[in-house]
Order: sequence, then structure tokens, then C-alpha cells
Amino acid sequence: MRKYVYYPGCTLYTKARNLDLCARRAAEKVGFELTEMPSWNCCGAIYNATSDDLAAQVGPVRNLAKASQLGEKLVTLCAACYNVLKRVQDRLDQPGNEVESERLKTFVDEKWGPADEPQGHTERSVKVLHYLEVLKNDVGWDRVKEKVTKPLAKLKVASYYGCLMVRPKEVLGFDDAENPQVMDDLMRVLGAEPTKFDFKAECCGGYLVVNRREVAKAASQKILDNARAWGAEAIVTTCPLCQYNLDKLRVLTDGSLPVFYFTQLLGVAVGLNQDELGLEHNAGDTAGFLRSKGLI
Amino acid sequence: MEQPAEPQKKRRPRVGVFVCHCGINIAGVVKIPEVLERAGKMQDVVVTKDYKYCCSDPGQQMIRDSIKADGLDRVVVACCSPTLHETTFRDACAEAGLNPYLCEIANIREQCSWVTEDKDKATDKATEIIRTTKAKAENDVPLEAVTVPINKRALVVGAGIAGIQAALDIANAGYEVVLVEKEPSIGGHMAQLSETFPTLDCSQCILTPRTVETGRHPKIKLLTYSEIDNVSGYVGNFKVRIRQKARYVDFKTCTGCGACLEKCAGRTEARFERGLVRGKAIYRLLPQAVPNRPVIDAKACVYLTKGKCGICAKVCPTGAIRYDDADKFVEEEVGAIVLATGYELFDATRLASYGFGQVPDVVDGLAFERLLSASGPTSGEVKRPSDGRTPKKVVFVQCAGSRDSTTGMPYCSKICCMYTAKQAILYRHRVHDGQATICYIDVRTPGKGFEEFYKRATDDGIQYLRGKVSKIFRQGDKVMVWASDTLAGRKVELEADMVVLATAVVASPDGVALARKLKAQIDSHGFMTEAHPKLRPVETLTAGFFLAGCGQGPKDIPETVAQASAAAAKVLAMFGNTRLTHSPTTAQVDEEICVGCGYCERTCAYEAVKVDPALKKAVVNAALCEGCGACAVACPSGAMSHRNATKKAIFEMADSF
Repeated sequence: MRKYVYYPGCTLYTKARNLDLCARRAAEKVGFELTEMPSWNCCGAIYNATSDDLAAQVGPVRNLAKASQLGEKLVTLCAACYNVLKRVQDRLDQPGNEVESERLKTFVDEKWGPADEPQGHTERSVKVLHYLEVLKNDVGWDRVKEKVTKPLAKLKVASYYGCLMVRPKEVLGFDDAENPQVMDDLMRVLGAEPTKFDFKAECCGGYLVVNRREVAKAASQKILDNARAWGAEAIVTTCPLCQYNLDKLRVLTDGSLPVFYFTQLLGVAVGLNQDELGLEHNAGDTAGFLRSKGLI
Repeated sequence: MEQPAEPQKKRRPRVGVFVCHCGINIAGVVKIPEVLERAGKMQDVVVTKDYKYCCSDPGQQMIRDSIKADGLDRVVVACCSPTLHETTFRDACAEAGLNPYLCEIANIREQCSWVTEDKDKATDKATEIIRTTKAKAENDVPLEAVTVPINKRALVVGAGIAGIQAALDIANAGYEVVLVEKEPSIGGHMAQLSETFPTLDCSQCILTPRTVETGRHPKIKLLTYSEIDNVSGYVGNFKVRIRQKARYVDFKTCTGCGACLEKCAGRTEARFERGLVRGKAIYRLLPQAVPNRPVIDAKACVYLTKGKCGICAKVCPTGAIRYDDADKFVEEEVGAIVLATGYELFDATRLASYGFGQVPDVVDGLAFERLLSASGPTSGEVKRPSDGRTPKKVVFVQCAGSRDSTTGMPYCSKICCMYTAKQAILYRHRVHDGQATICYIDVRTPGKGFEEFYKRATDDGIQYLRGKVSKIFRQGDKVMVWASDTLAGRKVELEADMVVLATAVVASPDGVALARKLKAQIDSHGFMTEAHPKLRPVETLTAGFFLAGCGQGPKDIPETVAQASAAAAKVLAMFGNTRLTHSPTTAQVDEEICVGCGYCERTCAYEAVKVDPALKKAVVNAALCEGCGACAVACPSGAMSHRNATKKAIFEMADSF
């Protein structure tokens, strides 16, 4: 079984438990193993673009060093963690950035590379991957499809990626930055029908929910309206902040779109039990919705 | 001190080295006096001279004079690339009575001064380039140019306005032209246009007289619905194999009455109408088509796909329908080829955030031309595709794909600023209470009457909004456009009934494929490359191929026509000669050594080397050989060599370094 170092990040232990739980269980079902790295710390929460404020890079650098001791591939689920860790790794490896890189490494003073080898023996960095990349590239859609026991009954799903998964495309190289496809592909494999959707990678309002709640609310509403206009019955996302803004800021009415994490629908399709899906963490009666579609 | 020459020994060559300053291009980096001094000390160099511009008349005179005065038998000119001025200096030598192939170019500009910053290093490098070139020159032997006869017929590929103009100019000078067009009729994209900027004269009215003249011209052999399959031979003597696609309509019997078009049941996309309406399986591009004979799209024809229907054959009064038609090949022999392969619009579905292909009321520039055109699907009334309503607010988006390195098209498509202004003006002519907004990055109006035309658009109440559009999507029955107003410094959301994308102009994919097949040079965007960007704008580096129209780069109609006439003039200048000369610096075979293994034949990219099966020896066709030297490298026995770049010469060049 393929093994990966797993970095959950803070939100997946609190507000986004529903993203984490079924991800771990679904991984076992489709055939890869996530080993949570011990003593992980904050990912940095947001990538710090200031070039001289190295303190802001220390957190992610320590995580990367710790992960490199355990394996070659580090998997995350939270779009923000993914964005920060991958960009910091890229910054460390950037040619011409050796001085900054060395200063950070010295400051963090962690061993890079396998823990059982003496210091300085191997300089191994770690490759930061998103869970979706593992599904697509390492496991493969064919194998995921084999593991589907409960196809998603042509559920019309709008895949919402937000900003952090796809940009900056030069560094993340995750997917097309304007029209990403990977979650749409996954939904198709799981038996759902991805809808067209203009706002796949538009801003959900982000952290403005903290101090300009109405701005975040308006931004999220536009996204929901557009998904509904294209006939979506549900939205899937991968970012806890997006999920929060889309799901928790709105006034629930009849016909509100449920906002799932992609791992929840993956869990449904590979036959996880209802209590492993974390549906109680979503707004509205998501269980009722899935039941009405005959999926649980 | 020099040794006294032994009487039986061959006379040492007398070499003159001429160093060009190229203004400051060379002299600004390379220390000319030092180079002259060092060159003067090289063996056999009897004279060194320099001049600010050696290519100028006084510069050439200096070389000619020195050849005579100093008794030179080898000339080395240290200057720019030989692709630029090798011919210039060889001609100068020939005038002074020296065999031109005893003159060699030491490239100390592109390969030295332009790419070296350190003046001392550049001076050293220039010296060594001159030294090695001198070694090559000393190995040179006098050669005579190869001459070949010319077949004074021309092939023109593509019958848009560029091809039509070139064909008519050549034909009107009295030479035969074979004009090949892949579509069933001629006229190209110009036939799709409504009115033309900046004069607003009707595209049809200025084009159709030319298409008619082309169709009737006794000297023009028009092959429509045909493609170039293969070209062999060389300048002056090309053999062209042309595939005539199956039309399923007999060209001679058909009268173009159009009865079949009424009844046809097969449906397909109407490419000429840019997908605004469905077309029929039997079709002609437009009622004024030249030639006015329909063809059948085999993929859409009910009879050809399912074996049923056959209504066109039943209604045809002359019995012209031929369901058993097949592709045919014809061979033509010509001396010159004009490539006028034209453009296409960039596929805007690749601009994921612009909604093209998803939102029906987002169309491209050519589709909007069809909506404005009197011969278009709406007879010139502006109606939007989704529901046929007249759009009251139209947003035009310039630079949709152009000037964007992320799309792979960093270049300016040149025509869009003007055609967008024109489309907005024409839209306001048709819809008086309509509101037109143009989102632009810059407005570029560098043509005659262009700035005035742009002024006319702004005076007409057309709103210009400076900023790039970030997103286009559907909301209800509206099309929403997210743009920015960089002059006011704010984000704007525009609500429109319809959006027109000025999508980038790209080289026609068929043209690119043809260029690859013919080994004609194309640039990184697929546009064909001229031999020199300023001085040889319609020739290519392959002798006998000439360029016209948008296949060479985006351009408007007047510029296209001018270029086509220029290409025709070049062809006619060639036809004014009786024979063509070809460089004699080709491959040569030492038949004593050659065993006929055929490595050379397999290596040759120009089909210039063949092994004679009877003699079991390689034979070089000097007229085809481009002198690349690949065969000489491939030859295991050393029988093959390159005239004036022999193995001996190359080793001596390396040794001299």
C-alpha cells in the first residue's frame, strides 16, 4: 500500500472534522495509507510574501523538515495548508535563494531526510501533494472507480476550488487556474454529474469573514447563485474557509444547496458508514438530502 | 624572417582581411586596431583594412581596389552574418576579377560583438574567428555557379484576398498560375466580412469583382476544394502533387442552380457562418461563390452515411450528383510558389474564463461580421444567437488571447482595434438606441485614416473602457462582464445582452502543416518567416517560396494586398530570367571511394542525394543540394565531401585556433 506523510492542519481538528474523518477512511478503501506526522505545528495559515520577514516562514519550514524525516511525500487536504507548504517548499528550492534557505534551515535546526540516518547524510526535501493529486496521479481514476460501491446517482455537483488550490499556477501547477478540472473528474468517476460553473475559482470572501462579514457573505452568495443557475444540486469544495463561507454565512432556505467536502462524497461513494461522514458538521439537513437521493 | 620559397612548392595564398565596424555594432565592443594588427601578423595575410560600413559602396570599392592593387587571391571580410552580406561581398570580389567563392565571411557581429560584453575577450574572439575563417579561405577552390532552367508557371496556395491578388498579378503579366484553395470557393475570410475599416466600403463589393476575374482568367487554373499533397524539386522546377477532395458533384455538369440546396436533409455545422446557424450537407459557402458549384460534406450526408435519402440526385436537373466520387490527385509543374495560407481565429474556448462556447451570446469577431453582413444568416440585422432578440447592450472585448504570454500569443493581432471600432460603429448604425462598450488594453491606430476612424467611434458615443476583462458569464438572460477601469482605478461589472471577443489572429493550422511539409520556415507562433524582416519581406529562405497575407503575420486588407503584389513582383522578376543560379557550395562524391552504402541518401533532408543502383555510387543533384553538409558527416568512407568545406579545411580551421 502506498504510504504518505499526512499533515491535517488545525482546522481539520476543529471546524473541518468532516473533511478529515472520511478522508482517512476513504484513503484506506481506495488503497493508500496516511500517517499523520507527529508534533506538527501551524502551517503559517497564509503564505507570507514579504521577502525579508523570515520569521513568518519558520512554521512551515519546520513542518517540511519534520515531514522529510518520515517520507518523501507530504499530503494535505486543507487548501490553505497546501498552498502555504507548497509555496514555502518552492521558495526553499528556488535557485538564487540559497542564503535565505540556509538561514531558515539553520534557525529551524531540524534534520532534513530520513530520521535514522546521520545528520548531513541525506538532504532530502519533501514533495507536497494535495489529496486530489494522490487520487488522480498515484492511485488513478480507474482504481478509484473500481472501489465505488455506491455511485452518486448522477447528482449534479458544482466543483468549487476557490483561490488557494490553483494559484499561483506557476508554483502550484495544480490544474488550469481558470478552469480547474480535477474535482470535476473525481465527481464523474464517483458517478455524479459535474455541472458547468463560472465561479470555480472566484473568491469566497476569505478572511474578510472576520472583519467585513457582509463582503464575504455577498461574495459567497454570488458563487452559490451561479452554481444554482447552472442546475447544481450540491457544491463540493476542498477548502475549510470556502466551506465555512459558503455554508455557514448564509440564511438556509428551502432549496439551499448543500456544501460538501469532496471527501464526504468520496466517502459516500466508497461505502463509508453514515457516522464516518461527519454530516452533522455541515449546515442544513445534508443527511436528509443524501437520503432523498437514495445515497445513505 | 620568412623562409625563401622553394621553387617547386606551390605559391602561398595572398589573403586580404577587411574588418567592418558596422557603425558601433562591432567597433563599439571589438577593438578594431588591435584586431587589424593581429590579423596582419597571420601567415599569408598581405593586407588588412577596416571601414565603418564595408557593405557600402566605398567599402566595397576598398575591397575591389585592394584585390587588384595587392594581388589578393583570398578575401576574408570580418563583419555581420553571411546570411546578410555574403552575396554582397562575393559579388564585389567577382567584379574585381576574383572567383566569388574565394571570399569568406568571418561573423564577428552576431557571434561576437553582440554576445560579448568584455572588450578584451571580444577582441580575442574576433581575432580567432578571423584566423579560422582565413584557414577556410586558404582551402577554398574556385567554383562556378550551378544554373538551372526555369519553368515559368507559378503555384499560389490559398485563394483569400492575398492569393487572389498574387495570382491575378502574375496571370496579368502573361504567366500561367495554378491557384489552389482548400475550401469549395475562393475569397477566404474577406468573403465573410461585412464592411471594411476605415472607409466602411462593403467587403463583398470590393472582393467579388476580383473573385469573378480570378474564376474567368484564361491564365489561372483554379483548383478549389484541393490541398497540396507533396512538393518535390527545387526553385524553378517544382513538381506539385495536389489532392482534389471528393466533391460528389460533377464540376462540369453542375450549373449551380441550387435546386439540391433546397431539399437536402443532412445537417452540419455551417463553418462559414461561424456556427450561428446549422448548415446542410450539400452546400456552397455563399450564393456569390466562385466557382458557384456546391459540394457534399460526406460526414453529414444522409445518403453517404446511411445509404438512404438521395434527394439531391433526384432534384438535380442535370444529373450532376456523383455519390461514388473519390479524392483525385493531379500533378502540376511550376517554377515558383506563393504561400498565401492565411489565418484563423484563436479558439476562444481555451480562454476558460471568457465563457465562449458555453454562453451562446458570447461570439467571436468573425461571427459578429456574419451578423452584420447583408449576406449573413440574419441579412445584416443584429440578432443575438440565444433567442434572436436585438441586443441593446453589446460589450466588445479586445485582446482576447492576444498580447498574453499565458496563452502563448504574446504578439499583437494588429487588426482587432480597428475592426472592433468598426463593428461597434456598424452595430450603432443598425441599432440606434444600442449601447456599445469596448474593453481595451491599448488602442493602436497606426494606419492611414485609422486614428480618425477611432475618433469617429468615440464621438459616436461608443464607450471605451481601459482594462482587461477578467471574466464573462451568464446570469439569467444577460451576459455579465467583469472588467476593470484602470483610468478610474476600479472594478466594474457590466451587464450585456451580447459579448463580442476580438480573438487573436493565429496562423491557419493547415498553413502550418503545409509549411512543415514543405520545410518552409515558421516562427514559434506558426507564422511563416520571411528571408529578412526588412529587406526581403516576401521571400523565404527556401529559394522559390514567396509569402503573402496573414500566413506571414496578422495584417489588414490593404497591407495583405500590397504584400501579395510584392510577392507577385518577386515571382515575375524571377520569370524575367532564362536560367537560375544556384550556389555551387554543394556536396560532392569521390566516386573512387564511394561504395554506395546509402547513408548519405538517408541523411539528406532535401532528396538531393541518390544512390545510382546500377553504378552503386551516390549521385548529388546540385540543383537540389542546399549544402548543409549532413551527408559528408554521415559518410563512413569519406567519399562524400562538401565543396569549400572539406574535412581538410575544417581540421585546419580547428588546428589554426
